[in-house]
Amino acid sequence: MTADLIFVLLALLTLVPAVWVAFSRNIVHAGFSLLLTLLGVAGLYAYLGADFVAVTQVMVYVGGVLVLILFTVMMTRVPQNGRPRHGLDRFVPAAVFALGVFGLLYKTITAVEWAASEGAVEPTTAEIGTNFITSYIFPFEYVSLVLLAAMIGAAILIRERRPEETEEPAAPAPETEEEVAS
Amino acid sequence: MSQKLVDSLQREFGTDILAVDSPRGDESVTVAPERLLDVLGHLRCAGCEQLSDVVGVDHPDRAERFELVYLLRSYADNERVQVKVNVAEDAPVPSAAGVYRSANWAEREVYDLLGVPFSGHPDLRRLLCHHEFEGHALRKDYPIEQGQECARPEKLFTDEDIARAAERANDLVSDPDDVHDELHPSDLLTVNIGPSHPATHGALRAEVLLDGENILEARTEIGYIHRCFEKEAEDHTWAQVMPYTDRLNYCSAMLNNSIYAMAVEKTIGVEATPRAQAIRVIVSELSRIIDHLVCVCANLVDIGALTNYWYLYNVRESIYETLEKLCGSRLTTNYARIGGMSHDLFDGFDAEVRTKLDEMDVGNADVMKLIARNRIFLDRTVDVGVISQEDALSWGYTGPCLRATGLAYDLRKLAPYSGYENYDFDIPTGTNGDTHDRIMVRMAEMVQSRSIILQALDKLPDGPLNIDDNSVVLPPKESVYGSIEGVMNQFKLVYEGIQVPAGRGYGFGEGANGELGYYCVSDGTGHPYRLKVRPPCFPIFSSYAELVRGGMIPDAIATLGSLNIIAGELDR
Amino acid sequence: MEAMYAFFMDTAGMDEMAAHITVAVIMATIMFIVMALCAIIFTWMERKVAGFLQSRYGPMRTGRWHGWAQAVADMLKILGKEDIIPAEADKPYFIFAPLLVLLGSLLAWAAIPWAPGFVAADLDLGLFYIFAVTSLVVLGILMAGWASNNKWALYGAARGAAQMVSYEIPLLLATIPVVLYTGSLNTQDIVIAQQGGVLNWFVFRDPFLFIAFWMYFIASIAETNRGPFDMPETESELVAGYHTEYTGMRFAFFFLAEYANLFLVSMIAVMVFLGGWWSPIPGLDFAPAACFVVKGVLMVFLNMWVRWTLPRVRVDQLMHLCWKVMIPVTLVCVVGAGIWMMASGAVG
Repeated sequence: MTADLIFVLLALLTLVPAVWVAFSRNIVHAGFSLLLTLLGVAGLYAYLGADFVAVTQVMVYVGGVLVLILFTVMMTRVPQNGRPRHGLDRFVPAAVFALGVFGLLYKTITAVEWAASEGAVEPTTAEIGTNFITSYIFPFEYVSLVLLAAMIGAAILIRERRPEETEEPAAPAPETEEEVAS
Repeated sequence: MSQKLVDSLQREFGTDILAVDSPRGDESVTVAPERLLDVLGHLRCAGCEQLSDVVGVDHPDRAERFELVYLLRSYADNERVQVKVNVAEDAPVPSAAGVYRSANWAEREVYDLLGVPFSGHPDLRRLLCHHEFEGHALRKDYPIEQGQECARPEKLFTDEDIARAAERANDLVSDPDDVHDELHPSDLLTVNIGPSHPATHGALRAEVLLDGENILEARTEIGYIHRCFEKEAEDHTWAQVMPYTDRLNYCSAMLNNSIYAMAVEKTIGVEATPRAQAIRVIVSELSRIIDHLVCVCANLVDIGALTNYWYLYNVRESIYETLEKLCGSRLTTNYARIGGMSHDLFDGFDAEVRTKLDEMDVGNADVMKLIARNRIFLDRTVDVGVISQEDALSWGYTGPCLRATGLAYDLRKLAPYSGYENYDFDIPTGTNGDTHDRIMVRMAEMVQSRSIILQALDKLPDGPLNIDDNSVVLPPKESVYGSIEGVMNQFKLVYEGIQVPAGRGYGFGEGANGELGYYCVSDGTGHPYRLKVRPPCFPIFSSYAELVRGGMIPDAIATLGSLNIIAGELDR
Repeated sequence: MEAMYAFFMDTAGMDEMAAHITVAVIMATIMFIVMALCAIIFTWMERKVAGFLQSRYGPMRTGRWHGWAQAVADMLKILGKEDIIPAEADKPYFIFAPLLVLLGSLLAWAAIPWAPGFVAADLDLGLFYIFAVTSLVVLGILMAGWASNNKWALYGAARGAAQMVSYEIPLLLATIPVVLYTGSLNTQDIVIAQQGGVLNWFVFRDPFLFIAFWMYFIASIAETNRGPFDMPETESELVAGYHTEYTGMRFAFFFLAEYANLFLVSMIAVMVFLGGWWSPIPGLDFAPAACFVVKGVLMVFLNMWVRWTLPRVRVDQLMHLCWKVMIPVTLVCVVGAGIWMMASGAVG
């Protein structure tokens, strides 16, 4: 009973802000709403007994990705009229893409045999750790390489702007008398 | 003193030099406005690296109403010369801003207060008065009691300025094909550092144009506490001006008092007694120590080293106690008098000052232990706010900020006054002209000041405090109460003021922050006809926008602290 | 804890989930009160420490004895102040931001093991959890700076976010050698592994751990936004940084969170490196909780000592220190500690 209530609350915490993310006209508001959605998802993980994934969700998505998203949103150039455009030309591709993603997710979710756990849940961290460096060592290392490549790429993209001269040419301070007289 | 310069001018320009005179030993030449730039250019090549100030005097009764005096200084030859031009109302004067950078603000001030237009000036706007102010306050026909209400703030950067700055920044980037990095004007942010900002203590304003944390450009606005000191002075007797000088550089009021008294004495043609001079030296050096303490500790607070503040401020507080005991107040000292001092030292002054100086040594040693080899401090100050010696001279730098660039020039040594030639002291210098050197020069100067005070205390001469001239100094009280001559003497001096003979004199000395000068013009009445202050931080602050460009906000704050901008004398 | 569960389930007749929630609420309330008390005590302590270092007294009047009531009086004053919300501010976010900051540290406090068995949330991955939930503080600061609609606040927030996200990395990396030794992220396990006197504390186990401890200490100062790394506030540069526009109660929340975080990182240092509740001499563990708190307060003192001694670094130097010095050094510590462990046979 209480457990169901918690699930409903977590689901609402996930979905309501998600709707706000999609429909908010203020892009920073959308970003901050994402915070609640992500926390809701973390709560769902915890609810399912996946403690490590739940904490990782908070650490990576709330502490890292969301901060980055907000940073990007705050630092990017504002459109000239101050608000993002809302037109049919934007709406149709977005809708098609969203439906596509939904279809894909639906397919995946229904295709997988989900194991239901019974009784008290056990901590998962140690097991995940062991799996990473035994049976999943190759995917794990592969993902590390991809991330490393992404990091190097990012570093190249944002390399420092290097001015040719550090200072502008000096303000008028003529040295010779001719210049002064002229 | 500067006959060489005058001779060279006469050789070069012949009859274009309209007049040569030397009031009170200040060599001056008069030229026509058309020849002004040629003369200044020649003088600059002849070794006058610095334009100290431009003084404007209004003579409504003359056909050429305004008289402008350019005060020039040669550091290499240790010489001074004044160049005068007379211009009619509304007749433009060619701007010297292309020859000396310090002319920029100096001319703006003249334009603001007297309404003399300068042709070819890069940025001829009001400086001390509000941009909505009407009229020119220092003209003789501007009524002193007239008030004006000006409220609208001035925007220092227009949209075009911002667009231009973005373009300039883009031009400087090495890779022109890299479109990702292109700056757009909307990427830039203007932020007001001040007037209500902790680092500008409500009296200065710098609007900076930021690309992230980097300052692309800065513009400054001053005048927030402009109190018309110079206009007020014209409405008071010479002696009545003394308390107002306390409020110029309120961190070292004694120095203002002493140098003002000296300037008026010079204009009259008298010299203070040896005892008064020695006392002035002692209190001036104490003031210098206080001023440096405040500057260094505030600067350290600005870069986050809060604890040093107390180590230095405790000493300052302690010295203030002595000064309070000496003259009755901490800040508004009003201790010097024209022709002497208000009263003699109190008993036990000697011993007390020596104790205070020992305290200072302890405080300074504590601070040096905390900062001298502190990596964070060095990272924050070395190569921050750098100015080259040549630029510093052109901007009109004097005092510790100039010495930090490596030029060992100190008016106490090279144009001695008040008996400074009798004391043995060094001129500390820096090498780099950065914030670190400015702080260290001030720290070292405190040690020298200490040594000067100790020498002065050791050989403090006995003898009269005031000069024996009752046309300058108030008669002794016995005589006032005991004789009709004394009463009359007192009455005349108080009501009509000291009758300074018609003429002019530029009295100057080494203020805590550089050359502090008073250009006195007397018309023979008891009031100053014109009293122009040459505050040391005025030209220094004019370079601030240039100094912080390309740096970051924290650098701008650290630099501001090290320049020791005192709004009281900046705005007057 | 067990007794509480038993009480609610048996006496009050709740089901297991409801009992859990009730206990959690009670513990959260206790934690909040303790946190508020800590903030008050540490404010007073900061002022006394600062006074001591600056050759002055600090508060001396309120409450007679060394001004002990000054912080209480300040709190009461600040609660009575007018709550100003700027007209152009983004109201809901402006109001929510201080709560988020407070929530971050409150959640983290839950996993602190005060004494054997006495921990509000005995999580299997406690250490990881603590670092995860403190990232809410970053968002709170970002939100506060943005919602204030003030340029200085935005600068402070941007600096704060960049700084805290960056310093989280060395902070975490510095604790990894300890996790390697313990083989667990559980906060109690970590403390239990340090039983047996001062030499068994992780800080003195091997040289890499010793370096890691100081790296943790430096990163923790940055993580709590205190001098010399108080970039988000920098009162002389950014006026007051991200909380420039905050007043009264809401400002008090930020204030509270700062001291709560300060004590939090100090307690983590004690827990991870300094033997937790164990006394320095083996066998003298009469008052584990007191021992834990005393060590925590000593760490707080160290933190204050540093704050009142060093000038503030510049924002780019701060980033340089993090990315080019501390992260490489902590990475070396991780690898080095691992090798040391293998070599000394601490692990099979």
